[in-house]
Amino acid sequence: TSLLREILNSSYQLSSVPLQILFYINGIYYIFYFLATLAMIVYKSEVFSYPDDFLTPDLALLFIMAILEVLRLYLGSKGNLTEEEAPLGLSLAITVGSVILSVYFLVWQTYVLKADVILNALLLFTYGLESVLKVVAIAAFVS
Amino acid sequence: VAKLCVCDLLVAQCDVNCCCDPDCSAADFSLFTTCSVPIVTGDNRLCSQKAAIYSLDVEANPPERIFKLIDQVNPSVFCIHATNYKEALSFSSPQMPTSENFDQLLKEFESATFSAEPGSWNMNTDAQSPSDANETYRYEYGVPIQTEDAFLRLPSPVVSSWCSDANPAGFLVNQATKCTRSVSVEKCGNIQAVSMLFYINSSVLAVNITVQSVVVQSLNGMWTLLNSSDVLRLPMILDEVCINIVLGVSYHITYTDAGEIIEAAASFVLGAINKEALSIQQSFEISFTQVNTKPVPLSGNPGYVVGLPVRAGFRPQGYPFPVEIFFNTNKYGQLTILKSTSNQDCLAAQGARTPVLFGYNMVSGCKLRITAAVKCQPLTQTLLDLLKGQTFPEYVASFGNSRAQDVLDWVPITHFQTSEQRIYNTFQSSCQIPISLEIEVKWTKYGSLVNPQARIVNVTATITTTTLKQLPSGRERTIPITSSVVFTDISSPAEPGYKAWPTINVKLPFDFFFPFV
Repeated sequence: TSLLREILNSSYQLSSVPLQILFYINGIYYIFYFLATLAMIVYKSEVFSYPDDFLTPDLALLFIMAILEVLRLYLGSKGNLTEEEAPLGLSLAITVGSVILSVYFLVWQTYVLKADVILNALLLFTYGLESVLKVVAIAAFVS
Repeated sequence: VAKLCVCDLLVAQCDVNCCCDPDCSAADFSLFTTCSVPIVTGDNRLCSQKAAIYSLDVEANPPERIFKLIDQVNPSVFCIHATNYKEALSFSSPQMPTSENFDQLLKEFESATFSAEPGSWNMNTDAQSPSDANETYRYEYGVPIQTEDAFLRLPSPVVSSWCSDANPAGFLVNQATKCTRSVSVEKCGNIQAVSMLFYINSSVLAVNITVQSVVVQSLNGMWTLLNSSDVLRLPMILDEVCINIVLGVSYHITYTDAGEIIEAAASFVLGAINKEALSIQQSFEISFTQVNTKPVPLSGNPGYVVGLPVRAGFRPQGYPFPVEIFFNTNKYGQLTILKSTSNQDCLAAQGARTPVLFGYNMVSGCKLRITAAVKCQPLTQTLLDLLKGQTFPEYVASFGNSRAQDVLDWVPITHFQTSEQRIYNTFQSSCQIPISLEIEVKWTKYGSLVNPQARIVNVTATITTTTLKQLPSGRERTIPITSSVVFTDISSPAEPGYKAWPTINVKLPFDFFFPFV
């Protein structure tokens, strides 16, 4: 019966499976996003007039965003799997930073191409979904 | 976009076939055949932009212009959705240089990309600056002479004969100009250009312009040289006559080998005008002399210039070493030939000679009337003097600027004597008198193909003699005497130089046929 109970009621496993799947997808998507945005910045600097004063902040923010993303995904994944709310909370805080950076690339970049809009919109949607799931998971861990 | 029109070139007039021209009326549109500008858009890399489409509806009668404002969409995924960079898609207007941003602009645009000379792209700018420092006070030929505030001006006529004060004097460019200036007795003291002060006021780069001499011309045209020339005489009215008006200025600039001006002097001709005079003619002249040399007019620099006299002189006898060539032939050291006069009588026009001008073939002559009483030897001597002049030079300068000290630059004149009579008369007691002198000057082009300089290579003087037959007494005979100068160009034509054909250099390695060798 304990085995049956385990199978029927997996409520003692607090780790959120959807969140983990989302982290995994997010990781793969972010690699694609990073390479695509970098390639597009190179393309813009060749085709359009892109002076160094404007190119440097864009590139710097892209690399900062990559670092934050790695950190965020690692902490979130660790927190989710070890069912601790502290790393997950930290990951949520970093998500706020990532959201701001994504909004920058969506709206305040020097040249915003249609491809940029699509990529960043998808990323923001992913962040939003992740944030919701994280909050649910934290609530589950805390209680 | 609706207001932009590229083909609207004429202001307030309708341009032909320009459908976007606002100056065109419907009647004008009905006369068009096509629209030269069918669409006016912004940058088509934007994702969505407004476009104005102009077309002609030829079906309707009369043809109408159709104007549509639509949104044009760029379907590419890389279209520009937004930009946060103001000058992204337009040309930026360059900054106006002011005193604040001048240094920064100079640093930005000073580099090789903006330099005018392609040779200086890889040059070390440090290597250039020491020589530049020496260049500041050096003048080059033609460069305008600088004074304190602007350039030394030589008034000259521009389109009409009225004086324009904007002609700058160039270094080593000897100029002489004459122009008209309007004056009146009432405005005597007010017109700057007729007062001496105007011409000596500006100093030529730290050298003051000194007054060398002042000549006063009276109302009836008589010239008087003033003794004291350091008094500045300004125009003033005296008995309804305005005196001390500048009628002519002659600048003499002395320069050194290094291209610096060390002295500047001006000579004035001052005159007077009365009430009826409305305009005066002013003449201006500027000449350059090198320091420590006696000015000799150059006939070219270095090659002879067509129309300038051929310079000649001779070496004093008895000096075995090369020494200076003296110009005793005539005052300026020119080669001269007999000058034809109006009465064509050889003996009457003693000594009239005209300088030989480079490049101009000349023929001159006179008629000699001889009677039976004329003796052979004095006649021969007189004719030789007539043809050759009192002192016929021995050397001719090969370049227009040959200096007297460089003896090797001077070409000796070779003399030939031929007789007109073909039949060689063994009866030598007959008199041979010279009747023609022919000077042949052979010259060649020297130097670069782009700017060849004329150089005299060879000068021959041929005297042709004829037998003077004894006249029966009482009879007269007229013999024509001629002298001529011919210039022959003996320069060899330029040969094209081709590079050698490339050779195929085939060398097999020594072990090419390895197994068999």
